[in-house]
Amino acid sequence: MNDHEWRDYAAPYALGALAPDERGAFESHLAGCEACRAEVRSFTDVAGLLAHGVPAAEPPPALRQRVLAEAQRVRPIAARRRGASSAWLAAAAALLLAAGASVYAWRLSSRVTVLQTRLAQADSQATVSDSIIRLLTGPQVHVVSLASTGREPSARVFWNHTVRKFIVLAYDLPAAPPGRAYQLWAIANGKAPMSMGVFNTDAQGRATLVLPVDQAISALEFIDNCGLTEEPAGGSPQPTETPRLLGAWRHTD
Amino acid sequence: MAEGEDRALGELYDRYGKTVYALALAIVREPADAEEVVVDAFGQAWRQAGSFDPARGSVGAWIATIARSRALDLIRARGRRTRAYERAAHLSDDGVATPIAPGGTDPGRRVETSEARQLVTRALAALPEPQRVAIELAYFEGLSQSEIAERLAEPLGTIKTRIRAGMEKLRGQLTPLLEGAS
Repeated sequence: MNDHEWRDYAAPYALGALAPDERGAFESHLAGCEACRAEVRSFTDVAGLLAHGVPAAEPPPALRQRVLAEAQRVRPIAARRRGASSAWLAAAAALLLAAGASVYAWRLSSRVTVLQTRLAQADSQATVSDSIIRLLTGPQVHVVSLASTGREPSARVFWNHTVRKFIVLAYDLPAAPPGRAYQLWAIANGKAPMSMGVFNTDAQGRATLVLPVDQAISALEFIDNCGLTEEPAGGSPQPTETPRLLGAWRHTD
Repeated sequence: MAEGEDRALGELYDRYGKTVYALALAIVREPADAEEVVVDAFGQAWRQAGSFDPARGSVGAWIATIARSRALDLIRARGRRTRAYERAAHLSDDGVATPIAPGGTDPGRRVETSEARQLVTRALAALPEPQRVAIELAYFEGLSQSEIAERLAEPLGTIKTRIRAGMEKLRGQLTPLLEGAS
């Protein structure tokens, strides 16, 4: 019999449904086969769960006391002697600890999952932050601060010429309504505005994003102004309103 | 019994007593017999506490295994050979377990147990009936595959296939509980 055929014994073995001679042969095989042992462990867990597949039944309240009384009666002889109960107590404590530990472990594993998710989120945020810091600290970076006439909202756009990226930071800019978005425009004197990209802010009115610099904009090397308008979600070829935010580019260095 | 041990066993019973009783009752069918099984099973678990190995499964699964084996001993000893026929008939009439909200004092535990009950009941109900009957005859009646074949008047190979396929399906469906267990 090959290993694959032996594996078919795992499920009936876990159910206790093998004939005695089959069980004996399979147990001999198990001694040397980790794959089958793993399969048996797995099916034994499945079989164990079948205990939950019966109709719920309420035991009579008096049963609890009978169980406690019987436990006292069956307590090992050695443990009944004075001073000999420590082994018994240790065994009892181990069992109870294990009972508590399985519940604790279950709760702990749920908690770990939550923390792993948060860690992954923090990691991805840190990666974004790191890359933004790298982008902002390059040798050839221009910056434009966009402001409205009032105090808020505002935005700042960095242009890293080395890697051809715009880094956009927006503050207190209420998210554009559904179907709408914000669009940034590169405005060079004497030319039509060129789209730098489309984005939206979050519920806190903030946005931090990196946009690739279009070839046509890159070719200009310098732009006089930067404007922000609200447009349909996909962006417009040309601005459809007067910029809500406007600023002049300058060098960071 | 020292007060600490009394409390420890009390907690163990409070945690698993209900599941063990329901299992015992499902196998032996008589409430008085089920109570015997529960008392014996906890007694045996308590006596063998030192040999319990957490690496091999949860405490709940361990006590359930002991209880099942005591319950099967009981029905074998009483020679209830007609039980298998009754159960097979019962199963084809109304299917398996109907979930009933379990009681208990710990809300967290109640939710866990009730989730396990629902998942297992649903998984069993989702099996093709011949597979479910074969698995239940093995688990609840303690019959071997050849005995099941004989009872159901089916070829042994058919029963083997049903048990294997059914257990594979259960394993697939019960993955969430298996990961949360032990």
